[in-house]
Amino acid sequence: MAKVLEGPGMGLLRKWGISTPNYAVVTSSDEFDQLSQVNDWLQKSKLVVKAHEALGSRFKLGLVKVGLDLTAAKAAVREMLGKELETLTIKQVIVSEAVDHKEEYYAAAKSTRDGVDLLVATCGGIEVESNWDKVKHVSIETGETLSDSALSSLVKDAGFSGDTASKMAEFLKKLYACFDNEDAQYVEVNPVVLSGQGELVALDAVTLLDGDAKFRHKDWTFPFAAEFGRAYTKNEEEVMAVDAKVKGSVKLIEIPGGNIAMLPAGGGASVYYSDAVVARGGKLANYAEYSGDPPDWAVEVLTEKVCSLPGIKHIIVGGAIANFTDVKKTFGGIINAFRKAKAEGKLQGVKIWVRRGGPNELQGLAAMRALQDEGFDIQVFDRKTPLTDIVDMAMAAK
Amino acid sequence: MSILATKDTHVVIQGGVAGVNAARRMAEFRYMIKQPLNVSAFVYPPDAGKTNEIICGTELIMIPIYKTVAEATANHPEINTSLVYIGADRAYAGTMEALNDPHIKTVSMITEGVPEKDAKLLGKHARKLGKTFNGPSSIGVVSAGECRLGVIGGAFDNLVACKLYRPGSFGVITKSGGLSNEIIWICSQFADGITTAIGIGGDAYPGTDYVSYLEMFENDPQTKAVVIVGEMGGDLEERAAEWYGAKKRRIKLLAVVSGFCQESLPKGMKFGHAGAKEGLKGEGSARAKSEALKKSGAIVPDTFGALGPAIKATHEELLKSGQVKPIPDLAASDMPRLPKTVQESMKEGEVLVTPLIRSTISDDRGDEPLYQGYPASELINNGYDIPHVIGLLWDNRLVSKQEAEIIKRIIMLSADHGPCVSGALTTIIAACAGIGLSQAVAAGMIMIGPRFGGAVTDAGRWFKYAIDNKLSVDDFLVYMKKNVGPVPGIGHRVKSLKNPDKRVKELVGYVKSLNMATPHLDFALEVEKVTAVKKDNLILNVDGTMAAVLVDIGFPVDSLNGFFILSRTIGMIGHWTDQKRQGSRLIRLFDYLVNYASPKRREVPPLK
Repeated sequence: MAKVLEGPGMGLLRKWGISTPNYAVVTSSDEFDQLSQVNDWLQKSKLVVKAHEALGSRFKLGLVKVGLDLTAAKAAVREMLGKELETLTIKQVIVSEAVDHKEEYYAAAKSTRDGVDLLVATCGGIEVESNWDKVKHVSIETGETLSDSALSSLVKDAGFSGDTASKMAEFLKKLYACFDNEDAQYVEVNPVVLSGQGELVALDAVTLLDGDAKFRHKDWTFPFAAEFGRAYTKNEEEVMAVDAKVKGSVKLIEIPGGNIAMLPAGGGASVYYSDAVVARGGKLANYAEYSGDPPDWAVEVLTEKVCSLPGIKHIIVGGAIANFTDVKKTFGGIINAFRKAKAEGKLQGVKIWVRRGGPNELQGLAAMRALQDEGFDIQVFDRKTPLTDIVDMAMAAK
Repeated sequence: MSILATKDTHVVIQGGVAGVNAARRMAEFRYMIKQPLNVSAFVYPPDAGKTNEIICGTELIMIPIYKTVAEATANHPEINTSLVYIGADRAYAGTMEALNDPHIKTVSMITEGVPEKDAKLLGKHARKLGKTFNGPSSIGVVSAGECRLGVIGGAFDNLVACKLYRPGSFGVITKSGGLSNEIIWICSQFADGITTAIGIGGDAYPGTDYVSYLEMFENDPQTKAVVIVGEMGGDLEERAAEWYGAKKRRIKLLAVVSGFCQESLPKGMKFGHAGAKEGLKGEGSARAKSEALKKSGAIVPDTFGALGPAIKATHEELLKSGQVKPIPDLAASDMPRLPKTVQESMKEGEVLVTPLIRSTISDDRGDEPLYQGYPASELINNGYDIPHVIGLLWDNRLVSKQEAEIIKRIIMLSADHGPCVSGALTTIIAACAGIGLSQAVAAGMIMIGPRFGGAVTDAGRWFKYAIDNKLSVDDFLVYMKKNVGPVPGIGHRVKSLKNPDKRVKELVGYVKSLNMATPHLDFALEVEKVTAVKKDNLILNVDGTMAAVLVDIGFPVDSLNGFFILSRTIGMIGHWTDQKRQGSRLIRLFDYLVNYASPKRREVPPLK
């Protein structure tokens, strides 16, 4: 899943014929000044200014300003750009044209196991949250086409009538075309508004695309945004850059405030390790995972990042019995990074717990065990120790 | 018995290197259970028409590669299963091709990162055809004692440790590849092992879900219980619970679900596989799934760690009720073993191999080359120079400082002799014809022979012969005239007594100034005194001088031409680089430089 920010999300809707307000994504006040000199709508219309970053609750943070004239918009742009938040600096804002409207509706498309659900409601904006029963949907099976009759009965069922009903049916048809052709997983337009000119306009959009389909969308030139309401950290981005380059995978998500650092192998096992930490009342400092026999240097980079997490007490180097990930090789990368971290004065008072099996497990585990002689506080276990027992031991040790 | 992968499974593998690796792993499995390899063909258009070499025990088996699945199944009609190892961007088309082939009933896809839409379309198409599409991102399928599809089960030692050479009573279905192996291991240690283990892949919408396989296990009398390793996200676990709770089932169901940590993480933070994500309204959480499975009557341990004891308890119950019989363990001597490679056997001191070649000069098996046992870096750090390396590699000894100086001077004096000599001219002609460095230098090198630069060894040989046999100059010249011909190392094309070779003077002067015995050089100079009287240009030339000096300092006769070849290589590389730098054009000889002595133009007679 790959989240797309509002600007490129709107761009995709436009590409498939859906009307959106005029908008511009700007990165500096100068750029905005220049734009305002050549764009009529910036001079004449009421404007909305929003921080264009992967951020939740922008309203609460004062990062959405509405009903502005150009002067006020310029001030808002100046104020927002460069603002430092806890986890990121605002580098982009999106300025869009306010659209006069009376009615707000809701429309969305989401991927399901059997195909796509197309959702629509006569209430939009924040109201839809408390009126979820008003949201009606039609399911389009994988590989089937969307029929006009299904569409018109959907909008009727949702309570649209007359001219608006046919407009909404047309809108949903375009939304589905966009969803299907752009390999989307979730597109939510909330609100869809009926403008003064009687046109349905998408005011805001949440767009999740299938990152795995990027190879067949040469026009996806925009970056994907983090999905958890904050921007990626520098360490996360560096690990992602490595991940994109190598065979297999390395993953990192930082969780501020935790003290149990995770360095397990495998997309499946890693979550069981996290579960075990949480079940024992521990606080995770991160999520990490390497799998698919990645090169040792990639695991080394990941390990370096994990070793530099602040305030950690334990590192859990867990893993199931690998099918084809070479334990000796990947552990080699981990050991290199451990040594480097220790030389830099990190890992003081940090206990390391290892459990693993798989190709060349004997050599890999022996190399880890040998770190004891170098002054590491490390405990090493083989396949005979159940998967998450090292977490129990770590939690008992504190 | 088993499901999906059985003793009757015959496989085509679609893909390149990763597919070949999988075939090798599958061959190990078949060797373990003493059955022939069940991979019949590969489909990989770039290598179509060739074969892949698969090691099966002590044999090498050649498996043909085809361009299309249809060709593969036409030639190998026993094929009923395809394994897809094709890149994500081409996996859809390849899998469709396999699904549409009437011979193929099951397709398992290892490819990761396949677009969701493609996976959904493939799943639907397979269901329509009544076939099984397993994956994407599937580690594979393994049925103990019967068949392995893909690398599931890992290395050979692990297959044996997990008792996969004979069936047990537990079925396994997981999304995670690593955990499938873990559960196989747990089943073998806490119970009697597995029947079939299936990785369905960790994507959001796998082609086949738990229910399809639960149905198959329910109909497989050998399987008495099934272990499911689930994840948050989607509704596959809920569907499994629904199926299990719907009516009385023969099989027991054990399940764990991961993702409880999600409850105490920042909202929206997502871990693990692509499919592991909660719904927007909290559906598909680990807790909801666990509850649903518990309610259906499945055994759901609280943690992954508690799964082992739960499997053990289930197995003991099955034993008690007589549904399964204890399976005696194999004696250590009967455990399957993979044949060792020669390297492994040698390491363990089990075999003796007669080496093919013997080397007495260098060894590069460590972290740096050893010349006669001396690490190259230590020679450098101790002030040794190129002539010492020459001594070590050509004459197995460390030459003295004085000898090194002589060698250095010889190299410097013979490094180049201008563009007109045979070697340099040939290199230049080749360079101008656009020929690469190594070939152009090699072309120049070919010129080194009896008339150009290649007389050093022969000169050394005959001077040494004279000294060894204590010949006088006169006897030597008589012997040479009678048995050999002109004395190698004597005579020059342009230099003469009146126009002496400065290089010879320089070298002779230097060597004579040293405090060393020079019997060969002295003899050569005596020879020159006689021959130069006969003819002005029969002087000791640079080849002869080098030869005499080098024999004096003890170099073997056979190495002597090497000094000229080595030195002149410096010049030839220089000439090639020089022409390149200038961007020189192709050289063609002018007609006026040729004496056309062939017959004038004439009538061609009729062919008889």
